Amino acid sequence: MRTLQNVFMTLSVLCMAVPAFAQAAGSSSNSMVPLAAGISMAIASGLCGIGQGLVVGPATGALARNPGARPGIFLFLVLGLAFIESLALFTFAIILFKVK
Amino acid sequence: MPLQHFLAHLLNLLLAVPVTRLLNWVGHPPIDPAAPIDGVFTMELLAVLLLLSFFVIVRLSLQVEKPRVAQQLAEMLEEFVTNQSEPIIGDKYRVFLPFITTILLFVVVNNLLGLLPDVDTATASPEVPLGLALLTFAYYHWQGLKENKAGYFKQFLGPVWWIAPLMLPIEIISHIARVLSLTLRLFANMFASDLLTLIFFSLFPFALPVVFLGLHLGVSLIQAYVFMLLATIYVGLATAHEH
Repeated sequence: MRTLQNVFMTLSVLCMAVPAFAQAAGSSSNSMVPLAAGISMAIASGLCGIGQGLVVGPATGALARNPGARPGIFLFLVLGLAFIESLALFTFAIILFKVK
Repeated sequence: MPLQHFLAHLLNLLLAVPVTRLLNWVGHPPIDPAAPIDGVFTMELLAVLLLLSFFVIVRLSLQVEKPRVAQQLAEMLEEFVTNQSEPIIGDKYRVFLPFITTILLFVVVNNLLGLLPDVDTATASPEVPLGLALLTFAYYHWQGLKENKAGYFKQFLGPVWWIAPLMLPIEIISHIARVLSLTLRLFANMFASDLLTLIFFSLFPFALPVVFLGLHLGVSLIQAYVFMLLATIYVGLATAHEH
């Protein structure tokens, strides 16, 4: 049973993999580029979203505990968000300049 | 918007010959010698003219008893920039207010002009943010040299002398990376916002893309604020005295 399961898993992986390899070898060169652009932008913006969530959560918590500290918190909140966002934007710029 | 095309056409009619000659002399001949001035430059010039007329109006209508609208706007602006820069730079912040305020206003006006449909956003072409970033770079080094004299170079060498060979390349790279990150952040944000509105307009060409124009408005203001804030922080770091 266990071996059969492994065999089927390997076969299913191969079913996914073979068309991809065939496509890379068969067509000219640029067919994977839009795919790579989309996947890299998805990874970048998804991780950027996680990072910004990690920043905003404690910031709102801090504001709820101590509303008087609003200016200082706001300063670092905006700065941190800008820096995190610029990392995703670097990916965007690379895609923009590299993908024609 | 026909205004931009009209203005660009007018500028080209008036200035095409000397600008083409200048560009040829510099070594970068324009693509079209009859129209060397493009939409981006026209929008920049428009922003400069708007700001200049605003400053002139404020200067001419200064009153103590009954402040006008323009003066109140200018006072709000001054208060905002002061509140932002005083905690970062310290007591001597007043010297740097003109530069910081000008950067903020120029970026804000250019970003907001780009919200109009069918107009080139000046900050969404990489040259304009690069120019602003290089200006900021030159300005904070100049102010740092003026403030700290030869001691300014000690900032690049780290706290103890034997770590200097390691710190110097790191510091130089990080200072150059500031120019890169300032440029790319503003450019990519404005370009991506433009593109987002355009893409959703092509998907659903009625009413819905206005939501993304609202997002673009928010991004414009926040990016101008961030650009100003980073310029302030860099100036503050360069002019800080060692204790």
